[in-house]
Amino acid sequence: MKERESGMIWKIAKKEFLLNLMTFKFAVGTILCVVLIAVFVPVLANDYQQRLQKYSQQVTNNEAKLRQVKAYRVLTPTLFRRPQVLSVFSQGLEKRLGDSAKIGFGIIPDFDMIPEINAGPAELNPYLSIFSTFDVLLIFKIVISALALLVAYDVVSGEKEQGTLSLTLSNRVARAHILMGKLLAGALTLAVPTTVAFIVGLLLLLGFPSIDLQASDWARIGIMYIASLAFVLAVYNVGLLFSCLTKSSALALVLGLFFWVLAIVVIPNGSVYLARRIHRVPDVETRNEQIESVRGQLRHEWSEKHNELPQGGGAYAAEGPFGGRGHWYIIVCDPAEAEYWKKGASLEMSLNSKYGRKLWEVEHAYVEGLLMQTQLARSIGMISPTCLYDNIMSALAGTNMADFQAWIASAGTYRQTILAYIRNKTDDLRDLSYITQSTEAERIAWAKGGEFSKGAVQAASEHTLPLNLEDLPRFTYSTGVTEGLRRGAADLILLFVFNIVFFSLSFAAFQKYDAR
Amino acid sequence: MLYQIVRKEILENLMSLRFTLSLVLTVSLFAASSFVFVDDHRDQLQQYWQKTNQNLSGFREQSAQLYKLAFYDYDIYRQPKLLALCAGGFEESLPGHFTFDAFSTNLPQLAGQSNFTLPRFTNLDWVFIVSLIFSFIAFVLAYDSICGEREKGTLRLILAGSTPRATVLLGKYLGLMLTLGIPLLLGLLVSLIIVIASKVDVVSPALWIRILGIVALSFLYISIFVFLGLFISARTTRSSISMASLLLVWVVLIILIPSLGRLISDRLQRSPTPEEFGRAKAEASRRVEDDMSAGKFGERAGTQTPNPKECNPPARARYANAEADAENRVIEDHHNKMITQAVVGRNLTCISPAVIYQRTSEAIAGVGINHCVNIYQQIKQYQVQLKEYIRDRDREDPDSLHLLFDDENSVAEWNAISKRPVSFDSVPKFQEQDLALGQSLKLAIWDIGLLALFNLVFFTASFVSFLRYDVR
Repeated sequence: MKERESGMIWKIAKKEFLLNLMTFKFAVGTILCVVLIAVFVPVLANDYQQRLQKYSQQVTNNEAKLRQVKAYRVLTPTLFRRPQVLSVFSQGLEKRLGDSAKIGFGIIPDFDMIPEINAGPAELNPYLSIFSTFDVLLIFKIVISALALLVAYDVVSGEKEQGTLSLTLSNRVARAHILMGKLLAGALTLAVPTTVAFIVGLLLLLGFPSIDLQASDWARIGIMYIASLAFVLAVYNVGLLFSCLTKSSALALVLGLFFWVLAIVVIPNGSVYLARRIHRVPDVETRNEQIESVRGQLRHEWSEKHNELPQGGGAYAAEGPFGGRGHWYIIVCDPAEAEYWKKGASLEMSLNSKYGRKLWEVEHAYVEGLLMQTQLARSIGMISPTCLYDNIMSALAGTNMADFQAWIASAGTYRQTILAYIRNKTDDLRDLSYITQSTEAERIAWAKGGEFSKGAVQAASEHTLPLNLEDLPRFTYSTGVTEGLRRGAADLILLFVFNIVFFSLSFAAFQKYDAR
Repeated sequence: MLYQIVRKEILENLMSLRFTLSLVLTVSLFAASSFVFVDDHRDQLQQYWQKTNQNLSGFREQSAQLYKLAFYDYDIYRQPKLLALCAGGFEESLPGHFTFDAFSTNLPQLAGQSNFTLPRFTNLDWVFIVSLIFSFIAFVLAYDSICGEREKGTLRLILAGSTPRATVLLGKYLGLMLTLGIPLLLGLLVSLIIVIASKVDVVSPALWIRILGIVALSFLYISIFVFLGLFISARTTRSSISMASLLLVWVVLIILIPSLGRLISDRLQRSPTPEEFGRAKAEASRRVEDDMSAGKFGERAGTQTPNPKECNPPARARYANAEADAENRVIEDHHNKMITQAVVGRNLTCISPAVIYQRTSEAIAGVGINHCVNIYQQIKQYQVQLKEYIRDRDREDPDSLHLLFDDENSVAEWNAISKRPVSFDSVPKFQEQDLALGQSLKLAIWDIGLLALFNLVFFTASFVSFLRYDVR
């Protein structure tokens, strides 16, 4: 008996599946999807390749700069966010958010180089924000979901119109089995374009020499595939419900289309619109004022404490630039003067880290405020399966908001590590490597001319060797498949719940469906 | 006969569920978006005026000494437009803060509550509702207008009479347009009533003309989709195939093609990175410095001591101005490149009527990228005007050297420009001007032509297809 039942479900599914394969809509939908994937995956992969090149270029430049550093207090590493290879599938916020953070320990009079992390927008050209994003996700989100609706709308009401439904029901087949068979058929039908699109996309992706998919990437792609099927099936289930609720297939189609437009267009845009009204973000101007006020406090404290330092007893110091901005080489004629400069350096260092922290807090609070609004928009959007799908895909691709937050947090940790490293290296934050005692001859020359000769400064700067930064802790950041899954899990579960709820509803509706 | 067909079509449409659903969806969207807009606009206006007044009061303080007017850091914010109700033009995510003094203009910056972490922010404005929802509804209403009648067998009956096919097609077209006109006009009316009743801003006669322009444009745009719907309907024999095809056409035209803009911009037109921009600036000022060393500006052009007797003030002024000009050129060039990059992406996505419609409405409403470009140009004009004013007033002071150049310290120390107070009322102030209607139209005219062309093409296509349509 049991066997016969499952046999029946399978028979219905097979018949439906074969019928679907022959339809015009299926052919057009699948071909469109595959063509789009075939055209745009190479373009997107190329785009990724360029970003990757830029990233490695930047990292190399940064390393080269670090090799030339001669004093710890001008150690200003820049951190870069590696572009995610799966951004081809879901671009998420990848191109919108900052992809670098500078950690500076500048000299106080500059003020703008004290230790802070800039986490601004990545956009080099703000005018490009008139465009929306294009990725593989968009193709799935729009084309395959439209196909799902077109497949689903007439499964019940269409059969009623043709009269085949009453024929089927006149046999000893349970209604539940018919509906199960139809669900199975829908899943099979829609799995075809989804699978083909994934395979074509991946084959094209692997054709790029610099694209190297790791095991964790494959795992994430696997979950993306499952999520895509769940999403497409969710839309199919909605279509099924409308088909079970209406007498004519045209009506089911119209209802389904309106749902589709709401889910694809209205809710994703409306949720952002609404979130902006509900949760206000701080003004850019307010943030700038706050930063200015912190800098003002810093300036104030610096001048106060600096004046208290014992002066170097009438002896002088001369300065000459070496190795870029903020690098000053100081030659002193008098040990007391050297002491004065050392104390000044020490004061700078402690103020730098204190106010750097404050500035970072202002910046961080601002960015967190923005992210809160974005989070709210996402939460509101969760009533639409499209937004759920969007969230899962960007979480898996490592291009969503949580990923950005994690990156900023690890940049913050790295900043602490660097501070600890410098403290460890230089005794009591004093950095002697750039203050030297002048030779007697230089002192006499200086006393006559009032200035050190250019050659003396040059020579002094040249005899200082770059620091040995072999043991400098390096910044590493990576997201694994578990983080991605953890961030997308809630959405994935909701998507499954969505499927179950809509299938149960259509089940209930079909039980009472009048087949005449 | 035409009248009868139109009447029958409208009545039939009005009774259908899809019409009811469309009406409810669009009118509620119009109403919701207007409420949010009113709320938003009020806040924005208040902030705009607060910031503008703050800037002006700072400027007023400078009028105590004439030369200071030239060195005041002006802060200009983009004025919130009432017509953003019709077309928002993504202004929220475009730079809206311009800083400049009499000599140089900086690159515009993002201002206010813009959130770069949000996915692209789309205003739920009229353009959004019309370009996405109405194009969709046009398809939903039109997909079975020909093949559906064939399926029911009524098409044969109509054509069996003496009515020419052209009249039938025209009747169907007019019927659909009028049916679509009901939710559109009703929605617009609701929207306008909400905005006017809230008294958030004054709708001047000039604005009414622009609003009417956008309404007319919307009809032109919707008409494309009605023709397209009729065309596909007349190419297919079954309404389900017609709907499937139309849905795919909609997806491609309205969603996929407009999304390609960013990709196209990134591929075809690169704008310089901040590092390259910095290098270009440094290079420009180095070239001027070389010129100075070569004596191009006169002797001792580089010397700047507090005593003008020790220097050569006219040479110094020429040098400083040449330097400011060189830097300005680099900045302006960079700004132009950024604009071009965005415009290229947009131009190449113009195969989609939705992009053309968006661009045209922005031009008529005076918002969007053109608004930013326009402010930038107005600032340039204002700088000239301000310098002119300062030179004029400076002539009245016999103690001054009459040299206006971009170096505040030297100008002050040498008394190069008069330090006398001026009456603030006579000082020209920056006031953003809306683009004149004629100029807006000039920006829009090609796009209007394109939309008309789309209409013509799809009209011809549907006409020919229907003439050859097999009604059996």
